[in-house]
This record gives sequence, C-alpha cells and structure tokens, in this order.
Amino acid sequence: MTPVEETLKRIQSHKGVIGTMVVNAEGIPIRTTLDNSTTVQYAGLLHHLTMKAKSTVRDIDPQNDLTFLRIRSKKHEIMVAPDKEYLLIVIQNPCE
Amino acid sequence: MTPGKHSGASARAANAGAWGYRGWWTTPQLVATMPVSPAGSHKQQNFGLNNATQPKKSISFFATMKATSVKGYTGANQSRMAVSKTVLIPPELKTVEKTNPSIKTTQVFDINGTDVTPRPLYHPDPLTGTAKPSKLLTSQEGSLGSEFISSYSLYQNTINPSTLGQFTRSVLGSSTVSKSSVSASESIAEDLEEPSYKRERLTSFTDLQVIRAAPEKIVTKEDLEKNIEIILTETETLRFFDLPTVMVSVESEEAEKVTQRNKNYEVLCRNRLGNDLYVERMMQTFNGAPKNKDVQCDKIIMEDKGIMSTAWDLYDSYNAMELVSLSVKQSVVESSSKANVLPKDQDQRLPGSTTEKNSETSSLMDIENVILAKIHEDEEDHSDAILKSDKFHQDLFFMERVLMENIFQPKLAAYRQLPVLKEPEPEEPEDVLESAKHEEVEEESKKEEEEEIHAEESTIPANLERLWSFSCDLTKGLNVSSLAWNKTNPDLLAVGYGHFGFKEQKRGLACCWSIKNPMWPERIYQSPYGVTAVDFSIGAPNLLAVGYHNGTIAIYNVRSNSNVPVLDSSESPQKHLGPVWQLQWIEQDRGTTGDDKREILVSISADGRISKWVIRKGLDCYDLMRLKRTTAASNKKRGEKEKKDEALISRQAPGMCFAFHPKDTNIYLAGTEEGHIHKCSCSYNEQYLDTYRGHKGPVYKVTWNPFCHDVFLSCSADWGVIIWQQENVKPSLSFYPTTSVVYDVAWSPKSSYIFAAANENRVEIWDLHISTLDPLIVNTANPGIKFTTILFAKQTDCLLVGDSDGQVSVYELRNMPTVLETGAIDIQETIIKS
Repeated sequence: MTPVEETLKRIQSHKGVIGTMVVNAEGIPIRTTLDNSTTVQYAGLLHHLTMKAKSTVRDIDPQNDLTFLRIRSKKHEIMVAPDKEYLLIVIQNPCE
Repeated sequence: MTPGKHSGASARAANAGAWGYRGWWTTPQLVATMPVSPAGSHKQQNFGLNNATQPKKSISFFATMKATSVKGYTGANQSRMAVSKTVLIPPELKTVEKTNPSIKTTQVFDINGTDVTPRPLYHPDPLTGTAKPSKLLTSQEGSLGSEFISSYSLYQNTINPSTLGQFTRSVLGSSTVSKSSVSASESIAEDLEEPSYKRERLTSFTDLQVIRAAPEKIVTKEDLEKNIEIILTETETLRFFDLPTVMVSVESEEAEKVTQRNKNYEVLCRNRLGNDLYVERMMQTFNGAPKNKDVQCDKIIMEDKGIMSTAWDLYDSYNAMELVSLSVKQSVVESSSKANVLPKDQDQRLPGSTTEKNSETSSLMDIENVILAKIHEDEEDHSDAILKSDKFHQDLFFMERVLMENIFQPKLAAYRQLPVLKEPEPEEPEDVLESAKHEEVEEESKKEEEEEIHAEESTIPANLERLWSFSCDLTKGLNVSSLAWNKTNPDLLAVGYGHFGFKEQKRGLACCWSIKNPMWPERIYQSPYGVTAVDFSIGAPNLLAVGYHNGTIAIYNVRSNSNVPVLDSSESPQKHLGPVWQLQWIEQDRGTTGDDKREILVSISADGRISKWVIRKGLDCYDLMRLKRTTAASNKKRGEKEKKDEALISRQAPGMCFAFHPKDTNIYLAGTEEGHIHKCSCSYNEQYLDTYRGHKGPVYKVTWNPFCHDVFLSCSADWGVIIWQQENVKPSLSFYPTTSVVYDVAWSPKSSYIFAAANENRVEIWDLHISTLDPLIVNTANPGIKFTTILFAKQTDCLLVGDSDGQVSVYELRNMPTVLETGAIDIQETIIKS
C-alpha cells in the first residue's frame, strides 16, 4: 500500500474518529467513510467556510495562506485541510 | 389700399402710399410702392416718378422739408434702416421701366466718387408682384459691395414682411429724406436735374443704408447749416405718369367719400393690430423633407459582473504577472505529459490561488487553472491524482498529528509542562506549524493541569506517572535496545529494537518516533538483524547511525522517506564483527588534520574494538562513501589473561559501552564485558590511562555526570550500580537494590543528584541528595516485561523507558523535590560522606 493509503487507513482507524472524507473541488467525494449525503453536505458547507477563512487570512496578509481549519463544537471536532483541488475532512470525537 | 395687399398698379400704390405716408411726409408724392413683398407694396417704384412729377415748388419745399426732417428721422430710423433694407432700389429703375422705358440710366456716385449705381435687384413680374425680400437684399449686396451688407442681410431675414412694409414706409420716408439730403448735398451739387435728384435720392438712399451712420450725421449737420441751392429749370412737360389727384376739395362731391375713406383708412390703420382681416403671412424656407431611416442594430446584451476585490486578490494578480511566464512555460511542457501532475505543480507554485473554480476572483492563474482543469476530462484520473499528490500526503500527515493531539492532548500537555518557549525549528521533516498549534492548545489545558499538580504536590509523594507509550503493531514483541534523542528536535526520538541475547535474535527495527504522534513512528527502518545501538548526529541532525547485532553500522537520512541507508558499513572490510553495542557521534577537534571540529562516529562492539568512523565527503552527500576508519584506540586490558591488539584477535574483551568525557573529548571511558572500566585517551590507542575495577559482571552502561565532571556512573549485570570518581579507582558508591540485572542507568539532566536505573522489572529513580540507600521512586513493571533502556527527556521532567515488549513508555516525574542545580561539589561531598 502506498504510504498515503496507509496513513489514511490509520487515520480512519484512530480512536474517536467519526468519519474521514476526501472530496475534490467540486464536492464529489473521492474517499469517504460516511454516507454520500452526509459527505456532500459536509463538503458543500465546509467548502464555503474554508473559502471565507482563506479569504480572511489572505486579506490580512496576502502572503499568508490558510493551511488548516479546525472547528470545535460541542459534540465533536471537524478538521479541514484545504487545498486547491481537494478538501480533507476528518470528524473526530475527542474523548475527554 | 391696405398695406397687406399687393399693388399692381403703381398709381394705385402711389395713391395708397400717398395716403399712408401722409403723416410722415409732407408731400404725398413721396410715396413709393415696392412690389417686392406684399407688405412692401408700398415700395416706391414710382418714387422717382412721383418726385419727378412734382412741381418745382414742391421740390424746393421738399428739399427744405428734407432737411428738417432729416434730423428727426435719421436717428430713429437708423435701426429701421438696418431692419429694412429692402426699401428703395430699383423701384426707381423699375418705375422708370414701367412708366417710361425711355428713361435713361443714371449713374450714382457717392461721396467718394465710387460708382454705386444700383443695379436692378429685382425685376418682378408686374402681374405677380411678389418677391422675396431676401432676394432683394442679396442682390443689393452685389451691387453695393459694402461692408454692412452682410449684416444687413442678416437683419433682413428676421424681418417680418408685414412689418417690412411698415418699416419700409417709414424708412423710405425717413431714409429718403435723410438719404436724399445726404446725396442731395453732393449730388445736387453735381447734378442738378430733377430726375437725377430723385434717383440719387433713391440710390443714395441705398447708399445711405449701407454706409450708415457716419456720412449721414455729417450730412445732416451740414444740411442744417447749409443752404442748399437748387436750380431748377422747367422742361417740357412730359407726361410720364398721370397720377390722378388725390386731393379733393372739401366742397366737391367726392369729398365726403374721400373723407370717409380717409377716416376708414385711419381707423383701419389703428385697427390693424389684432384685426382679423389682417393676416400674418410668413414665408418659409423649404427645408428638405425629413425622412426617417430606422436602423436596427443587434441587441446589446448586458451582463453584470461583480467582483469582490480583496487584498489577496490584488496581490495574486500582481504576482501572477511575474509568474505567468514561468508557469506558462512549465504548464505547456507539462500539459503534454501526464495530466495528473499538473494541478499539483501549479498548486505549489501559486500559493495564493483560490481553490474554487467558480469564484469571482480575477486571478490570472486561477483562470489558467480552470482552463487546464477542464482539459482533464478523466475524472478518475483526477481524483487519483489528488490521492497521490504530495500535498495530500502532507495534509494527511498533519491531520494525523492533529488527531493525535486531540487524543493525547492531556498527556502531551503534561509532557510539555506548559513550555512558554516555542519549540525550536526542527531540521527534521516535522511540522512546525503543528508544533506551534500544539503549544497553543496545550497551554490552555496545561494551566489547568498545573494547578492540579500544585494542589497535589504537597500530599502526594514523588512518583512516576505514565503518560503514554510509543508502540505500534510493528514493534510489538521486540525488545527495545536503545534510545536516543535527536539533537536538534527534542520531539524526535530514535528507538532501536533488537534483542540482546544471541539466541533471541529476531528481526531488527529502528524507528524514529515523534512526540506528536505516539501511535505511529515517523520512520521505520527494518533490518534482519537486531538493532543494538542508535544515535543521532549532532552536526547533521538528520543522520541517524544504527548499529546492528551483526556489527554493521548504517547511517540513515531521516529526512527522506526511503528506507535505504545512506551509508552502510557492511561492505567495509574493517567492519565490526560483533554486535555494535554503542554508537555515539562525537565532535572532536582533529588536531592532526588541522580541520575544525569534525564529527566522528565512534562505535564499540563485541569484537573488542572501538572504532571511529569518519565520513569524508560532505555530510549530505548521496554517493556512497567509503567509510574510512582508523581505530582510535584498541582496548588493552591490563589483565593477565587477555591482551588486546589492533588486529582482530579473538582474545579481546568485548566492549559494551563507552562514554566520552563531556569536556575533554579525548578522554573516554569504556566498559567491557569483564567488568572493567577503562579510561582511555584518543591519543593513545594502545594503553589505558586508568582502569576502574568494581564490577563483577559486564558493564552495560557508563555515563558521566553532566554537572560534575569527575563523577561517573556505571551499571552492570552484577545487579549493581556504582558511582565512581575519576581519580579514584575504587568505587565511591554502589547500589545493589535488587537481584536483577541493571540494564541501564542515566543521570538526570536537571540535577546532579538524581539518576535513574532500569532493572529488569523496575525503574528506580535515585536521589542522592535525599537518600543513598533507597531509591526515591520505584516503578514496577508489568510482569513479563523487562525494562531495558531508559532515557531522560531533556527539557521536561519525563523519563522514557523502553521495555522488552517493544514499548517505550513516557513517564512523568511528578512531585520531585525541588533540587538545587549546582551539585558538583556537593555530590562529591555526599559521596564522600557515605
């Protein structure tokens, strides 16, 4: 297995990870552990948020760029690694 | 006759004129009709004639009258003259023509003697009698050629024909009066004939109009002053014109009619304004009939386009101009190649470009990307490309770290002990951003924990708290043989897995673990042989030296992901023949070569050699270099039985461990299997400086005190831990806590009194300050697991313990008694006391 696959698998099997998603720029899931509708919903919503966050960061300093986005909610934490072509989304329930 | 009517008959016109202008002129004969316009019917064609028919008396009278009247009219009528230029002219000629074609043409000369004979402007049809005033004027222009003509024509255009008539009348009256006076003075002087006089009057009238003010004024003054002499002679009575009398005696029969008519006329005149009978008639120039031409153009399609101009967008656009040429070239080249590679490369080159294709940004590169992205029609390839891209890999890497952080957060927080300082920039493939975030998150939680800790400190004695352990499936079942921190990145840990015993040999593993990811090692280097020693280089922290049970030494570059060692000593003819028990990178002054501090790798192995390995070429060289090694020293035992040579003679005491003096890198200690510790020097490779005897069994570890450089610690298989002093060959302090082999000892980096020892089933923390008899903390292992290695963490109060199950546990030293740092002299005293 490629190291990418291995890592992805490891992430998926981590404790507390609810779901892992890789979606492309159009919102089409490439890899996902959740059902399609949820994936699409997450992808769509997070895409906009990522855009906004990126715009914010770059407006402050155009040489800066967004690399990672974490949203902590009551129930779990959504982690987004944005990129030009894809979005890597992991939802984790950190056990505390 | 009404003013609005044409007057075909001159006589009639004359009559009318006579009637009309009565108020103006004293002589009725001055009336002239102009057939030019209807209103201008009063123009005086017969003017001249009228005058001609005048008796002498009247003329003279007229002349005087003229003089007088000139005054009155000149000023007033100047404007009028401007207005109605139409007046005069050819009427004279015309009348002449009409009435008497025999009239000879006269020449008119003005003051200057210029021939200003008016040419006939207008030859109206007597029947129609209509003419345009403009025509009249324009022709006048030609004839007269005066400056003022053009302006006059302008005026003329605005003239209302109806008023024209009025003006003409008035003008005629006045102008003729004045004009005639003007010319009269001249012409009369020149030409004394009546007709000429009249004509001159007319012509001079035109002249007067043209020349206007200047001569006029002069004339009038002169006129007034002068007495004009007119000599008239009577000619034959020539009947040119027979104008019936317009005067009627009051007593005649027609008197009443005439009177009535006069009255009517007066009334008419008064009623003229606003009277329905009077029709204003306007002439209109014929403009061309307008024609509408419609042209239909194509519908202009409007589109609204909005762009949100953001700071980064502007930045991108400006930067994109520079990058365009670069990336265009490259993209052109790449487009021919696999399409998968494109998006990634472009992505790397354009840090600022947005991810959304549909966004409104106007970044050039974005558009290009869109175009290029559209080229990729195969969606599957694209998604695969994503998965294979390095960026994705990196993102996964980060994600995993973040997950780990979430999972292990409290533990890591405890480990970090709320460091205020930022972690130094690692040279390893570590995520600096990750660590920074790590800090931020931990700080919050650590504050809470620290409070707890402080609360608990007073009550709970010192203990080891297990935070987590580095372990994974790969490492299960293996024996941890060595631990080493990275010199630059304190989060990076190298762990060597390999069994000690010969019989138990399994495959070996060298892993690089990161604190940030306790669940999976960063690097895994597998080998068929057990790993017995690991160490990170100081000068090049990415180099990891691994010593194997078969005597091979391999150097790995942990920066790269490859599992192949950069350098390997397996082909070297001088490689070790026995397991390499210890490796250490030493920075040594190479006095002989004259170089600066060069780093050498020193190894000790069971074949009895301490070897020094030097990497000749640059440390980052990829070529396989021959490790040249020179044996720095060969251990010679000052015993009876064995002797050591440089050559490989089996009768060498296998070396188990060594330790270089922290200050003087020439001096080092070496522990052997026999239980001796030799102090050696790099300068001498045949002799020992000293031998410390005390152990009965192989010395597994020897280590200098980091604070007090004369004290060192050793542990051996004879269950004992001995503290030595450099000068003293005999042991200073010895500890025999248990009946198990002590695999490892280590000084605490924080205090000179504290050291840790790893037995088979216990980890002990000793604090010499408190007690030299009992360990401070004892941590018992789970049954079946032996603690084989220990390592202190440098900045934190943590201890790493490796065991025989492949786990490296991280313990936190809690509630340690506050220790004084300076312990150099104290510890010696303590030792001496005990």
